[in-house]
Amino acid sequence: MKTRPLGGTGHDTSIMTFGTIALNWLEQEGADQMVELVLDRGVNHFDVAPMYGDAELKLGPKLRQHRDEIFLGCKTQERTYDGAKRKLEQSLTRLGVDHIDLYQVHGLEYEHELDTITGDGGALEAFREAKDDGLISHIGLTSHSEPQLILDAIDRIDDLETLMFPMNPVVAGKDDADHDYDAVLERADEEGIGTLGIKAFAKGPWPSTDELPEGDRPYANWYEPVDTPAEIEERFDFAAAQGLTSVVSMGDPKLMAMVLDAAQRYDGMDEAAQRSLIEKLRHDESPVPEQLHH
Amino acid sequence: MDVPTTVQTALEDRPVSGAVCLEAGAGVGNTTAGLLAAGASRVYAVTNDPAHASLVHERVARDEPDRTAVLEADVRSLPLATNSVDILTAHGLFNVLPPATLDAVVSELTRVAAPGCHLVVDDYDPLPDTARVRDLFALENAASELADGNPALTFYPSGVLRRLFVGEGWEFDRERTLLDPVPWTNRHLRAHASATRTAASRVPDERGTALAEEADRLAAAIGEESVGTMYSLAFRLPE
Repeated sequence: MKTRPLGGTGHDTSIMTFGTIALNWLEQEGADQMVELVLDRGVNHFDVAPMYGDAELKLGPKLRQHRDEIFLGCKTQERTYDGAKRKLEQSLTRLGVDHIDLYQVHGLEYEHELDTITGDGGALEAFREAKDDGLISHIGLTSHSEPQLILDAIDRIDDLETLMFPMNPVVAGKDDADHDYDAVLERADEEGIGTLGIKAFAKGPWPSTDELPEGDRPYANWYEPVDTPAEIEERFDFAAAQGLTSVVSMGDPKLMAMVLDAAQRYDGMDEAAQRSLIEKLRHDESPVPEQLHH
Repeated sequence: MDVPTTVQTALEDRPVSGAVCLEAGAGVGNTTAGLLAAGASRVYAVTNDPAHASLVHERVARDEPDRTAVLEADVRSLPLATNSVDILTAHGLFNVLPPATLDAVVSELTRVAAPGCHLVVDDYDPLPDTARVRDLFALENAASELADGNPALTFYPSGVLRRLFVGEGWEFDRERTLLDPVPWTNRHLRAHASATRTAASRVPDERGTALAEEADRLAAAIGEESVGTMYSLAFRLPE
């Protein structure tokens, strides 16, 4: 699988990042097999979070076995120094490792959160202390929120090395500021910040739970995903062709083989084909940001 | 409103800012919106379809009353002065023009173009033989021929339109591919089935009913198909 430099981190990330929430839906044996599968296909960047059920615990055994082959991203929704420090320690314990390569602010949504994170006693103090202590190597941020908030975060966090944000053809086809993740991508490139794309495979939000109870959804995923090999390949190619460092896989393990296949076969997507996809989906509702916040 | 990326791509290398523009065949107003977004000083949106005229007014012109004029007119006879337009666009216009009207349209567009005018013509290449949507378009053409004596759709190869305009004195500037493949969505196919039904309703015997029913059946059976290409040609009128 192709790799691309992850901003200025010095790491070459595979163009697909494994979203390990998929492990939450598997028993330990299946989780072990899935990790072996994605490693076998050349994926070298894993992304985990304490809120992904017991994904950290299930990732642990194979992570420890293959620690040198995996660039490990983790994250916290805590916004204060104390909270972030505690969550980082908890993640290290649950994963059973002494070091996380990339630690991210998870799911930034509001300006006031950014104020807390960057202020005195904020989460970034804990991140930086952990970096000094060798517990983490790089600092990142993830957000599904307004692009402008992410741009503000770039302005306010000097040592930000990666960003994770939505990128798909529905979003790319919208002109308004609420969907202008292109501006984020462009700015990140200027600043040498690595970029990880989420929601590449979003078909749309799930219907309301009144219409479709969670238990009746066919996929364990935040959003309703595209689910045929051709669509998954098309969506992967589109996202990868926007210039992201890497495209994060979706949550349901049933779809993982198709995403891996698309990532392995990725060979660019010309601009006319990108426009075709945008045009095809131009009248669709954006699956970002409504109903998709973690 | 969102300007389609096809329109943005077709206009991105043209000096639209500050220009007086004419969108020939305004459709639902996408290119008019693109021209306004790119800084046109004035856009004349021309369409001979009253429903389109009111749609363009509602979607685009109403918010930009000082820069937009929606003109309900035939592109063979434009209510505009000779040499008065800086940028001419025809986005998806030519495929709805029967071959017999091409000369008159090209000549009229050339009449209103000022010296140095830029022209952008975006349209569809003929579909490959294997395209399923060809059957639906063939039905639409059959209904239109029977009802009005003209085909509803003709997909001209880019070379045909290029030679037409060069023959009228335009200098060819560039060609680029806007869409490859063209997504004929469910929404498009239903619109074409509906157009077939409308034409078929003017066919005075049972052939009309049969054409309409077959168009509906085909549109439903195909669902959607991505096939063919859309091109963009750009020309310049000598100073």
